[in-house]
Amino acid sequence: MTSLHELQSRILDALLSAAAPAESAAPASVAAVALIDAPAPAAAARLAVYRNTVHSNVAGALRSTYPAVWRLVGDDYFLKVAHDFIVLHPSTCGDLTPVGELFPAYLAQLHPHDEYAYLGDVARLEWLIQESLLASDHPPFDLTRLARVAPAEYDGLRFILHPALRLFESRYPVRRIWQSNVRGDAEPECIDLADGGERLALLPQRLQLHFHPLTPGEWCWLDALEAGEPFATSVEAAVAGDGAFDAVAALRRFVSIGAIVDF
Amino acid sequence: MGQPIDSPLPAAAGIGLRAAHHGQVLAESPDVAWFEAHTENYVADGGAHVECLSRIRERYPLSLHGVGLSLGSTDALNGQHLARLKRAVDRFAPALVSEHLSWSSVNGRFANDLLPLPYTEEALHHVSRRIAQAQDALGRRLLIENVSSYLTYRCSTLTEWEFLAAVAVESGCGILLDLNNIYVSAHNHGFACDDYLEGIPVGAVGEFHLAGHTRIDQDGRSLLIDTHGSRVSDAVWDLYRRALQRFGSLPTLIEWDTDIPGLEVLRAEAQHADALEAALHDLAA
Repeated sequence: MTSLHELQSRILDALLSAAAPAESAAPASVAAVALIDAPAPAAAARLAVYRNTVHSNVAGALRSTYPAVWRLVGDDYFLKVAHDFIVLHPSTCGDLTPVGELFPAYLAQLHPHDEYAYLGDVARLEWLIQESLLASDHPPFDLTRLARVAPAEYDGLRFILHPALRLFESRYPVRRIWQSNVRGDAEPECIDLADGGERLALLPQRLQLHFHPLTPGEWCWLDALEAGEPFATSVEAAVAGDGAFDAVAALRRFVSIGAIVDF
Repeated sequence: MGQPIDSPLPAAAGIGLRAAHHGQVLAESPDVAWFEAHTENYVADGGAHVECLSRIRERYPLSLHGVGLSLGSTDALNGQHLARLKRAVDRFAPALVSEHLSWSSVNGRFANDLLPLPYTEEALHHVSRRIAQAQDALGRRLLIENVSSYLTYRCSTLTEWEFLAAVAVESGCGILLDLNNIYVSAHNHGFACDDYLEGIPVGAVGEFHLAGHTRIDQDGRSLLIDTHGSRVSDAVWDLYRRALQRFGSLPTLIEWDTDIPGLEVLRAEAQHADALEAALHDLAA
């Protein structure tokens, strides 16, 4: 008799395979169909009902994470890409929220040099938006604690970023592309990809997402802080990337917008 | 958040809480006996959904209904997922916590759908052990729901109701009886709904679910699909009456997950369920 594990493996192989059971003589489908208490054509059709649900659930989750990508490429292409993506990268947890984590890289690799070369970056921004909006909140920086630190110890401080802060950079005007494609029914504006890119810090305030444009120096600095570098090292990284970087002004700015919350 | 009100679910009709209605529920505090939320929609570290449910929980009794624990899977129980459920249970202090008698993953890959188990002795002992494990981890009794199904397995040796009743005994869980799911599966597999009801012990059931389904044609015969996208059918209301007669008045949920209508439509369905319950109650009195 087939063990429970063997049964589950065979059924799931068929549900996650590229071709629908009803149209496939692939070993995965044949092995699954043989388990079902119905004549082969009917069993394949029943299995196909589940397979459609599995694929449309993931496509729905991807559509909800990537609304701008969906609008940019249209329904048909999005569903085709989603289907191919699921077969390559099936869900690995019981909650569909993280299912699209590899979707930006997948799109970037699908369109490395064509007119959709910016699509992977739009997806990457949408992934960071989702992460940022689902992160925990944090109380504001307690400046009285910082005031008690001796100046000689500043260099070694490791500042902590808000759990919802996400850093983004692209050589395309991705924020404008995104905004223009998530505004309901309004016709998206025409955006010149050569308009240049942007470096951004994403941070929700009272559950509302805010985009803070960053200078190259600020981006390098926050990137170093995110990696856990001490203050002196993070400033060196920022100055190396941008000779005009002003550490005191940056510290003041990012504490005041709530991006730095502790040390 | 403020303190959640400490109350069990009333034996009345509640509504499945969907994000589309968060704003209206918070703005208008509509007259709804209780809400049930899909646990996985509220397990994030933070964000708007978690915030909304915290505030709704201050005003209404709540049930948390999970769809992702994959209790029937032969993989190890996912500790990370369980920990997130535990955090949600601690955060929202629900009156009831429920999951499904199904599997959705194996070998680390998930279908994220409620797949039927084969009804065998092996599956019975396996899923019962896993439910007991989950109950231990969450520190409370679970209600386990029967799912709709579109296929049965050649290797099954028990009926679904024999399997469900035995799982309740072996694992110590309660039963969430989804009457629409019974109706859908009875039609698809050719058994009688009343045989199902009679096979479930009266004291084991803690909640009913009601929802809509659709009919498709497949190979010249009709198949019912559990879409949760329409009103409860007349046949399922009849089954609800018979379930009330057998099991008594219990918390009853109106579920609606696709093409979600306005809250007033869901409230009308809940009022209809309450009216059926009241009529039977009067008849008995």
